[in-house]
Amino acid sequence: MLARIRGGGVTGFVIRRLLLGLLVLFMVSIVVFAATQALPGDPARAILGRSATPASLAALRLKLHLDQPVFSQYWTWLTGLLRGNLGTSLAAQEPVTTLLAPRLVNSSVLVAVSAIVSIPLSIAIGSWAAFRREKVFDTVSSNLLLVMAALPEFVVAVVLILLLATTVSQVLPSVSIIPPGSGPWNHPSALVLPTLTLVIAVAPYVARIMRASMIEVLESDYIEMARLKGLPERTVLVRHALPNALGPVFQVIALNLAYLAGGIVVVEFVFAYTGIGGGLQEAVVNHDLPVVQALAMLIAALYVVLNLLADLATIMVTPRLRTRL
Amino acid sequence: MIPVAGPDVVTATVPLETPPIRATSLLRRSFRLWRTRIGVVLVGLLVLLAIVGPFVSPYGPSTPVGAPNSLPGGKAVLGTDYIGQDVLSRLLYGGRSVIGLALLATLLAYAFGLTIGLIAAYSRNALDDVLMRAMDVILAFPQIMLALVAVAVVGPAAWVIVVAIALTTVPRIARVARGAALPVVERDFIACAEAMGVPRWRILVGDLLPNTLGPLMVEASLRVTYSVGVIAALAYLGLAPDPNGANWGTMINENQIALVVQPWGAVMPIIAIALLTMGTGLIGDGIARTAAGIDRSRGAE
Amino acid sequence: MADISRRQVVTSAAGLVVVGGLAAACGGGSTPSGGGGGGGGGGGNPKRGGNFRLGVTGGGSKDIMDGQNIITKPDQARLVTAFETLLLFDDNYKLTSNGLAESVTADNPKQYTIRLKKGIEFSNGKTLTADDVLYSFQRIGTKGNGLTGYAATATMDIAGMKKVDKYTVTLPLKSPDSTVPQTLASYTFCMVPVGYKAYPAPQIGTGAYKLKSFTPGQQSTHVRNPNYWRSGGEPYFDQVTIQDFNDSTAQVNALLGGQIDAMTDLPASQVKVLSGRGMHALVSKTGGWLPLCMAIDMPPFDDVRVRQAMRLIVNRPQMISQVLSGYGFVGNDLYGPFDAGYDSSLPQRGQDISGAKRLLKAAGKQNFAFDLHTTNGASGMVELATVFANQAQNAGVKINVHNDPNYYGNQYLKLAFSVDFWGTRSYLNQVQQGSLPNSPYNETHWPPKSGTGSNFIQLYNQALAETDDAKRIQIEQEMQKLEYDIGGYIIPFFGDLIDGYAANVQGLRPSKGTLNLDSFGHGFRTIWFS
Repeated sequence: MLARIRGGGVTGFVIRRLLLGLLVLFMVSIVVFAATQALPGDPARAILGRSATPASLAALRLKLHLDQPVFSQYWTWLTGLLRGNLGTSLAAQEPVTTLLAPRLVNSSVLVAVSAIVSIPLSIAIGSWAAFRREKVFDTVSSNLLLVMAALPEFVVAVVLILLLATTVSQVLPSVSIIPPGSGPWNHPSALVLPTLTLVIAVAPYVARIMRASMIEVLESDYIEMARLKGLPERTVLVRHALPNALGPVFQVIALNLAYLAGGIVVVEFVFAYTGIGGGLQEAVVNHDLPVVQALAMLIAALYVVLNLLADLATIMVTPRLRTRL
Repeated sequence: MIPVAGPDVVTATVPLETPPIRATSLLRRSFRLWRTRIGVVLVGLLVLLAIVGPFVSPYGPSTPVGAPNSLPGGKAVLGTDYIGQDVLSRLLYGGRSVIGLALLATLLAYAFGLTIGLIAAYSRNALDDVLMRAMDVILAFPQIMLALVAVAVVGPAAWVIVVAIALTTVPRIARVARGAALPVVERDFIACAEAMGVPRWRILVGDLLPNTLGPLMVEASLRVTYSVGVIAALAYLGLAPDPNGANWGTMINENQIALVVQPWGAVMPIIAIALLTMGTGLIGDGIARTAAGIDRSRGAE
Repeated sequence: MADISRRQVVTSAAGLVVVGGLAAACGGGSTPSGGGGGGGGGGGNPKRGGNFRLGVTGGGSKDIMDGQNIITKPDQARLVTAFETLLLFDDNYKLTSNGLAESVTADNPKQYTIRLKKGIEFSNGKTLTADDVLYSFQRIGTKGNGLTGYAATATMDIAGMKKVDKYTVTLPLKSPDSTVPQTLASYTFCMVPVGYKAYPAPQIGTGAYKLKSFTPGQQSTHVRNPNYWRSGGEPYFDQVTIQDFNDSTAQVNALLGGQIDAMTDLPASQVKVLSGRGMHALVSKTGGWLPLCMAIDMPPFDDVRVRQAMRLIVNRPQMISQVLSGYGFVGNDLYGPFDAGYDSSLPQRGQDISGAKRLLKAAGKQNFAFDLHTTNGASGMVELATVFANQAQNAGVKINVHNDPNYYGNQYLKLAFSVDFWGTRSYLNQVQQGSLPNSPYNETHWPPKSGTGSNFIQLYNQALAETDDAKRIQIEQEMQKLEYDIGGYIIPFFGDLIDGYAANVQGLRPSKGTLNLDSFGHGFRTIWFS
């Protein structure tokens, strides 16, 4: 087993990266905890606000374990986290899990729906541009995608709202509030604009990467061989190129998810979507430490996993890099 | 919006097996492409706007020139904003904050990111691992989320924004630098230099650095584009260094509510930001294509 | 997003002292007496039915529901769905006995008798009696509860309140206080059942709706109270939904898109937009004000010359144009504009840059950089700070504006220079809430402890006890002169309250009251869908 880890090859690489990922998460937890503890302001005072008296402050500090040494606070928090207890929200006086669960669900649905649209789109556009390199479709789409990839998300969002919800036409709702107790699936029209924004923000960039990866695949030796052997183009594509295109596809999926997860912060704000992006902002503003910590760890864990997958995928895609493992 | 750079290697568009490209020749050759030229023109215009704007502006950024949200006419060529200030003047003043901070943040990130990436590549030992893991910790968060939390907590001062964005950009640059430097490190002439007793830092600066500039230039345009986007987004979310200061991102936030009545207050800064990010994107793409083209033509040799 | 403390208490337009009885004319069904013109009031006969959705900004996960306390505007909206006061103000700020009380009479300057209307039921079927009244007063009067109405109970001898019979209670006073009836009409001074506690305890009140569900920071739903005591068909809606918004833009978009039926604090720029879409803006000329508050005991504002200089920097008409888009009228650094005792003879202050510079130089602060704190708590607060900083710049005075999201958390009332907001009040009521050492919201830390102005508290107590209107007005004007000369407030204007609502909402009228949207349609019971 150890030999496998130290050894080369893909499996060794995967295991090494997984372990490293765990190490990173552990370090992240330390950083998150230290950073939130270093937040300016006294959390007890922030919660009680103007009704704070010395007695009530002392009582609250005791309840929040603020009197204990930092290390034991950290340990209590970490072990609780691992057991699934994310603490109690200071602002809402509710368990963090109850508070965040619906938001997490909403954000996940948004990301999932956007991914379902964005992934096939980026694969299709990227592949077609690669197949038809330097032809009309490629040049036109490349430039268009470049332009769209550069735009910040909130610009896309505001423009879409202008075009489809308030000024030019009013076919879609401009706010996407999901009332508590119901899910995004009950309000499909509320998902359209946020999804569209995310797709426009993310798909172009991934499509361009897909294109580049597909070009690599199409120019690789075995494809050359297949063509030289006189195989019909169709067979070349279907039997040789496509299976080897799985690498880029995997990369596309992982990248899409990672980028979408980053993009929801601004998008949720613009559309007033009840997700974890908005939850994070409010928690920071309210000095709601447990929520901030929980969200930070959640997002970090998700991101580490997604980045790992994306790294793996890219290694798969670029054969020459595999020799470096 | 261009998000995180994922992989632990250079983006696939710039292969590395062939001899590294000299930076100046790369720049020169990429300028032959139409797209690079368009990009340079766009960026140049907007940077010019940002620098010269305040000097040619008809009014100060906060001088009231009319009733709030009035349409173009009279004193205000582009109309007034939500508290009656001149939209054109604020547009002319508004680039400095966005472009200046973005450039500063990127430069800072490059200073640190390059150093870390090159040292990591060169040391090839435990130091490499430690540095890269530290980078991974920062990479564990989406860039804008980290910037958002940092700024929301410490406050929207200019230095906080610059540091927050630089901090989140450093790992991305470090990765690219390391990825570009690794193949070079293993080449014979480095071993030669070491054998000859050339000090390591000399090798780093004199040999490694020049040979990694190609991919780093592509990355630079990506990073500047993204930094502009994040700064504008932060300003849009209400976290700008100067709450009323003219800032393209803030302007969009302030005036979007009146889009239906007086669109120019929000539309003009949107156009400005869009053109700027398109320009930097085009430049980066131009450089990347040139490098790929050079590599391809070399490969055919 | 910000925590706003609500001190917008309804007030009377003229006259405070109620001796003898109040006009007991109004009985059962309530008809709001007409306010000003305009707005989309009353079209046709009221019809029952529908789910009224209201969008409100200013809330967050710190939202509460308490019949006797509020922090944010959504809290206010939720309070009025389920809780009611003994007396009520009409749209013209006149006290009426349209509330839970049959009458509130002053037996002598130091005792009132409160008689309840008979047969009023709480939403759980229990009848409102004197015991509930006693509990309600005790709850407010307990300092540890930290309720908004506590300061108003300073003159009340709550321990000495006696139950005369099932529906009657006496309220003795520790010292004469002519503002008691107004206190009994202020919207947080509601009557709650014995044993009542704030959410998450069950919310049982006499109001027109019962709480059905509540997620703080997001949404609450309220259904018609089948035991509601008023006859005449009120309330008309089957359900009321109160939706929190973080952002004015999202709120306006929701209204324009038909996702909500009404919203509070419509930005002035949207008035034209709404009418273009066939919707309405409710513009109410209130005595609400956004002050810049200088703490008179904190440097550099402990030097009176600095305070006076700041007041001279303001260009008030320009402020109204820039901050309010014209929806307001000029202020003179004094509050209580609708009060009979408001001293309009004091010369109207205008901008005097050279005078300001002179004063600052004399105080040695001509190059001082001031820090001004504001927040997005109410419409115009951030714009006010911004425009003031700009105007100061022209006077060569540097002001750094800080927009703090957590403004009402730690730093509130401890800042040297800040922006805040108030609603209409009578003069004495306002003094009690914001200008005395034990006031809950005294941003300026007024009055001075020694020297000129240190007799402010005595004057206040005299005014409270003074039964003769003319004499009382004289005392009030003496107090106002002090505040005019050396006070800590800069009050540039009185802003209109602007709200927005859809075309099919009927029954809303402009009101001088301080709650938005015509006191939320008088607890959502005098409005209906056409």
